[in-house]
Amino acid sequence: MIMDLNEATGNERAFHGIDESRVTLSRTFIVCVLLLLTLLLVIVLMSLLGSEKLPAPASLCALLTFGKSSCGLTADQHAILFDIRLPRILLGAAVGGSLAVAGASYQSLLRNPLAEPYLLGISNGAAVGTMIALVFLGAHEWSRPLMAFSGALIATLVVYRLAQGRTGATPERLILSGVIVTTFLSSAIVFVTTLMDATRIRSFTFWLLGDLSGSTTKLLWLALFIAVAGTIVLAAHARSLNLLMLGERDAFDLGVEVARVRLVVFIVASLLVGSSVASSGSVGYVGLVVPHLVRLSLGSDNRITLPAAAICGAMFVVVADTIARTVIAPRELPVGAITALIGAPLFVYLLRRR
Amino acid sequence: MLKLHIPQIGIFKTCRRAFATALCLGLLLAACSRPNDKIDNAVNLRQLTDEAGRTITVPETVTRFVSLAPSLTEIVYAIGAGDGLVGRTTYCNYPPEAQRVEAVGDTLKPSIERIIALRPQVVFVSTASQLEAFTNELAAHQIAVYVTDSHDLEGVFRSIERIADLLKRRSQAAELLRQLRARVAAVEEKVKLRPPVRVFYQVSDEPLYTIGRDAFITDLIRRAGGISVTADVPGAWPKYSAESALAAKPEAIVLPTGGSMGNANSNVASALRGSPAVANGRVYKINDDHLSRPGPRSVDGLEELARALHPEVFTK
Repeated sequence: MIMDLNEATGNERAFHGIDESRVTLSRTFIVCVLLLLTLLLVIVLMSLLGSEKLPAPASLCALLTFGKSSCGLTADQHAILFDIRLPRILLGAAVGGSLAVAGASYQSLLRNPLAEPYLLGISNGAAVGTMIALVFLGAHEWSRPLMAFSGALIATLVVYRLAQGRTGATPERLILSGVIVTTFLSSAIVFVTTLMDATRIRSFTFWLLGDLSGSTTKLLWLALFIAVAGTIVLAAHARSLNLLMLGERDAFDLGVEVARVRLVVFIVASLLVGSSVASSGSVGYVGLVVPHLVRLSLGSDNRITLPAAAICGAMFVVVADTIARTVIAPRELPVGAITALIGAPLFVYLLRRR
Repeated sequence: MLKLHIPQIGIFKTCRRAFATALCLGLLLAACSRPNDKIDNAVNLRQLTDEAGRTITVPETVTRFVSLAPSLTEIVYAIGAGDGLVGRTTYCNYPPEAQRVEAVGDTLKPSIERIIALRPQVVFVSTASQLEAFTNELAAHQIAVYVTDSHDLEGVFRSIERIADLLKRRSQAAELLRQLRARVAAVEEKVKLRPPVRVFYQVSDEPLYTIGRDAFITDLIRRAGGISVTADVPGAWPKYSAESALAAKPEAIVLPTGGSMGNANSNVASALRGSPAVANGRVYKINDDHLSRPGPRSVDGLEELARALHPEVFTK
């Protein structure tokens, strides 16, 4: 069984045995630290780019002192860097990390390489929740993430239930249920949009494509907290998810509490998707492309894949959003358009190279 | 031989049946279209060019028409032609008597069936709503579509003039335009010696939208003694970078709000909280129905803008 697992996951190291485990642990640690350093570098570099030109050495100096020293930046430049640009970059990191780690865990749990928050209709569920909060509850601070989370969770459970046939869930059935739920929720979105007034429709369609520009500080902290905590919780279940990739029955025989793990993944992933949709709309492709890129380069042991997917997802969205906010500056593009534009060809390239 | 013949006869029969059906249909169509031809021949037609450069053919006297923009509804009432309005959009709420006219949907999705059922001779459309396919379908039903396209206040006046020309309300329009131009001149006279105020016009706060080069409001702000900090941005309604908006250091921020769209957009975008405009309390909420509809009430909007930007010259 363990041999099968190794073949299935493409990882040469065994999952049991103290020595092997320690090797994997230190490898995970090194990979994560290296990736985190890269992410930090990306965040700093991307903070230097924007529609307004800021003096690079002074900005770097101010960033390194966490804004405590102005380093010769004017008050306006300081405000642009720390009140507008950096929060947006951090939000991008939180959203990218959340979506990628949610996608990676759905793919393992549901044993389906196409499982992704956007394709399964979970992002749309969160979007409908957010819309209901915006249109009917009028509140922005707490009803929005709460409704987004509920929408994501309901969509997840519906897709999962629909996928369970008499013969159990097949990958085709899962994707079909995802398509059905996505289509249904898309019409719900269109319906609610027609209830909106004309000026809000345009900004809303922009938001639906994924947009990181308009978020509050509270939503940013919430998104960051959920991204980090969610990644830790999911990574803690990485071994169970590894075994689940063999099939639920085999995993159960190997001592995995399948029902509990499934519930944890559904709730945590819904929280991750809900918080990112509430703060930035539906950024597509991240949950699909990033985990696969990570697996193609680091293997599919979830103990490495999950944290690495979170960090790489963060980098991916931060870079994509920098393109979105600079390429036609001072006008802006929705980040979702850029993630799809980069994501699809990158994915095809890697797929063909294998 | 026989077996060979039967299918041939079958084909012949089918052909004959198809021919007969086609003939019947043709006769039916001819019968249907004949009265229309007579009506078309009975009225005198004239050709004119609309503001999008399209040549359209309209009856000499237009008595039934539909407006697909609130600004156009306001124009036809202002020139005294409201009696001929047989259809409007759900957004057309001014003047109050316009609300008694049947609504044919909103500006984005008007109901083509209802418009055709109303048998208008002309449908007035603004370029803002992209109704290309829709225009072709109306043309197929002999309904002319007049497209307005104004990028500044002078363009709005030209629209009024040409719609009045089409509806034979030239003298009313001349009187209306005389009054409007006098009010515009009065405003311009008052603000002409004042230094222009740098204005950021916030269309929506989340995400941040503003006005660009092609929006007629950019011209309105200039005439009101201001200058839009986004006057050179391509397009009419660009989504704008928050940091560029802050870096432009607007002295005043205009929030179009409080009209028929309710209180949406009544808060300054969080990125602009540190701008000189907010620090000096120069944030102005102005009725969006006056500012965003290129019609006669744009001059109300102009006066309100000028009063907000240069209160010192209006208090005396």
